[in-house]
Amino acid sequence: METLLIDCVQSSLRHFMLRNAIFLCERLCADFPSELNSQLLAICYLHNNQAYCAYHILKGTQMAQSRYLFAISCVQMDLLTEAEAALCPTEPNAEVPNGAAGHYLLGLIYRYTDRRKSAVDHFKRALSMDPLLWAAYEELCVLGAAEEANGVFSEAAALCIWQQLLNPGSNTPNLQITNEDHVVVLNKTLGSEEMSPRQLKSMQGNIFRDTPGNHVAVFSGGPSSQPSSGGSSNISLYGTPSPMPAQLYGVAPPPLCRNVQPNLNILGGESSPKSKINTTLQGSRRKLLDEGKLRKKFCLSSAYFGLSQVSGRLFSDSEPRRSTRLAGEAANTNSNSLQVGTNGSGHSSTRYFGGLSSSSKLISAAIRSGTFCKGQPSASESFDEGRRSESFDDSRLDNTATTSSSASLFADDGSLERERTGQQMGGVLAHGSRVSSGILELLDLLRTLGEGYRLSCMYRCQDALDIYMKLSHKQYNTGWVLSQVGKAYFEMVDYLEADQAFTLARQASPYSFEGMDIYSTVLFHLKEEMKLSYLAQELISTDRLAPQSWCAMGNCYSLQKDHETALKNFQRAVQLNSKFAYAHTLCGHEHVALEDFENGIKSYQSALRINPRHYNSWYGLGMIYLRQEKFEFAEHHFRRAFQINPCSSVIMCYLGTALHALKKSEEALNMMDKAIIADKKNPLPMYQKANILVSLEKFDEALKVLEALKEYAPQESSVYALMGKIYKQWNIYEKAMLHFGLALDLKPSATDVATIKLAIEKLHVPDEMVDNL
Amino acid sequence: MATESSEGEEEGKAIGGNQHLVVDDDLREMAKKAAWSVSSCKTGNGVQFLRDDNLDTYWQSDGAQPHLVNIQFQKKVKLQLVVLYVDFKLDESYTPSKISIRAGDGFHNLKEIKTVELVKPIGWVYVSLSGADPREAFLNTFMLQIAVLSNHLNGRDTHVRQIKVYGPRPNPIPHQPFQFTSREFITYSCVR
Repeated sequence: METLLIDCVQSSLRHFMLRNAIFLCERLCADFPSELNSQLLAICYLHNNQAYCAYHILKGTQMAQSRYLFAISCVQMDLLTEAEAALCPTEPNAEVPNGAAGHYLLGLIYRYTDRRKSAVDHFKRALSMDPLLWAAYEELCVLGAAEEANGVFSEAAALCIWQQLLNPGSNTPNLQITNEDHVVVLNKTLGSEEMSPRQLKSMQGNIFRDTPGNHVAVFSGGPSSQPSSGGSSNISLYGTPSPMPAQLYGVAPPPLCRNVQPNLNILGGESSPKSKINTTLQGSRRKLLDEGKLRKKFCLSSAYFGLSQVSGRLFSDSEPRRSTRLAGEAANTNSNSLQVGTNGSGHSSTRYFGGLSSSSKLISAAIRSGTFCKGQPSASESFDEGRRSESFDDSRLDNTATTSSSASLFADDGSLERERTGQQMGGVLAHGSRVSSGILELLDLLRTLGEGYRLSCMYRCQDALDIYMKLSHKQYNTGWVLSQVGKAYFEMVDYLEADQAFTLARQASPYSFEGMDIYSTVLFHLKEEMKLSYLAQELISTDRLAPQSWCAMGNCYSLQKDHETALKNFQRAVQLNSKFAYAHTLCGHEHVALEDFENGIKSYQSALRINPRHYNSWYGLGMIYLRQEKFEFAEHHFRRAFQINPCSSVIMCYLGTALHALKKSEEALNMMDKAIIADKKNPLPMYQKANILVSLEKFDEALKVLEALKEYAPQESSVYALMGKIYKQWNIYEKAMLHFGLALDLKPSATDVATIKLAIEKLHVPDEMVDNL
Repeated sequence: MATESSEGEEEGKAIGGNQHLVVDDDLREMAKKAAWSVSSCKTGNGVQFLRDDNLDTYWQSDGAQPHLVNIQFQKKVKLQLVVLYVDFKLDESYTPSKISIRAGDGFHNLKEIKTVELVKPIGWVYVSLSGADPREAFLNTFMLQIAVLSNHLNGRDTHVRQIKVYGPRPNPIPHQPFQFTSREFITYSCVR
């Protein structure tokens, strides 16, 4: 009954019949209380958004997967300390449950608790384990710690994914295919003997560079558990070998290929075609990766790094360690992970058998070839001259002196039917090449996107836009990419282009909320009331519980100068998601508009607590201090904003104003010049420069600047007003009068009207009796 | 633009009331943080009904004339416009007919700025505080006092349903001599 119930529950989950799943699962747990069943129940609850139930069920459990699920429920309930305690390994050697996903979650927890370094560390580890974990890369970018996308989504990553694909997974049917894949790939590379060895190597290296001990471990696990029998019994063990070693061998120079082929087969046969890289694999992957790292000393050249590792793995005596780890891990990871099969200690065999039956032929051949390969270290050595395989072979040699049963296994087998392996390889390789090219394509795509995202997080917006242009049309015209493009234009203060990009984004995915808050701000800047209110209404009707909709609504009210209602809307957005930094910033802006500086400061600081790179909040704080005439604070905050976003001419302009207020006029003028250069379309730095010059009494230069400014913005009354002021200073009354008149014509605000009229009246009064304007 | 009462004269002419409250965009309500007090009131019709944005509730005085509404600010503010809502149809003899507006630093030095006479007003009554001189566009003051000197039909007590006080918006960009008018300047003037 237990298995029946489990199947029912899982099928209900697959079909999203959550109530059914929960009910059946509860019956299951009642009759067969076990941790695995509790995990299943927790999964049902989590799917049903009932994190608190999952929390209570999993509290205190120790299995890795339980701890992971418990951590997820804690994070959803905002109990970050408990989540952290659950995820962090208690013993020094224990691993984070679920590998990359666990590291990612831990990274998030550290990020929310302000521990940036640890967060960055964990995200990086998550990425190294699972290079396709885009979310981790995104977080790194937001934290300002992302490396070049080239580095992350590199060929090394391709290797990693390759391995993962070949890793034993739960899907037996795939097993055969992946084996074939590998073989095919290898065959292709092997077949072209014209290819220079280097080419071969690099190609293979490309694909297989980062073979962590995964495969090897798997492989070794197999052999070790099945001493020297070769043949069907071995087959079962080899269900999840990593094709890596074999493939790596294949990479070796042509002469070496033959030797490798057998290995390839072995590995090919053993790898369970796990087409999806998911958390189930991550545990073992991680372990293997760690072991791989240990092998680094063997690596003499990057191309062969993986090779050496693999070879080391293949023949090393690390089995005991690996197997213990694997054993420990196996207990923790999901039962469906075939990695268990890699458990060198042979526990895996039972699990393996289930998945391996389909690939028996291949595996047997593979095993044979593997043994052959292993048994010929010297032969391979001989091929090493002038090749980079030296390192590889050396390590192989080193490792061959292993006491592992795999060695004996191989040695025993000795006889290798190359023809047989050759045939089998042919079929497998064809498929494998498709998979590998798929991986490369995906990595290429992620690389482009990652680089674009990283650059836009660093506010190098033009570069980011150039990179996004490289995407294919299909990818470019998606909501996410178009929103990113819109954001980049927004940061460059090019609101019209941003508007266009966002409009396209809305057309592409009208239900998406990514970046809609920025879009509403763009419309706010463009003073498009109609569009903004339409956007806000649409967003709210789509999802009342998304903070972006309330941000848009708030922007709508703010545009109409109804700051109190706007504030209420932004506060609602904050309530919906207190980790949404922009909502806090907008609250701050409204507080400032209402002249409530204390609360404004609080809001900005909350925003900064969530995201210290949110330069808008730094700017907001600077403005408050500027208003309060605390110029040093203002300068400090503007400078922080400037450091985060060095391309924004607006921030440079304000930084200059603050510097001027601190009497550092030289620096201020420099900053203004920088701002003028940074953005030709921004008239403000010129105006501020003129202001500073006027206060420094350098009226000529100020006038020059203002004359130039007249060309840029002929409708700006303050320009004429300032010019009038200068002429008044020089007592050139006619010109002063002219300019004041022009200023008045352009309908300035009431205060300014009063000021200007006053200035006109006092034009003919001697200076001593006139208050300074 | 807000309908203005007589400009710059001591005795204001009679004005009707406006149905709608329409105020310039560059004015904003100033008295939210001010301290409001009245010379007298009837229980159940206190000073809070002057500020509750509800035209059905009103303040009713309960004492001798003149009835005073005092508005005290924390710092000197620029004021431009006072708007009252009164309704002759509903209040009849309680409707104020003569109103005097005084300003100063405190109770001790209030000076009369404006007097307005109302004739059967129904709706919002705008009283501008500006003088004719451009120099006097705004009234700079710590305190404003609105005195009801007499009512229609010689009523003793008065009903006032709502009072709002307006002043200019501050320059959104601090430390600027003039505010920006053109779109290019405004677009680049702030980061949101």
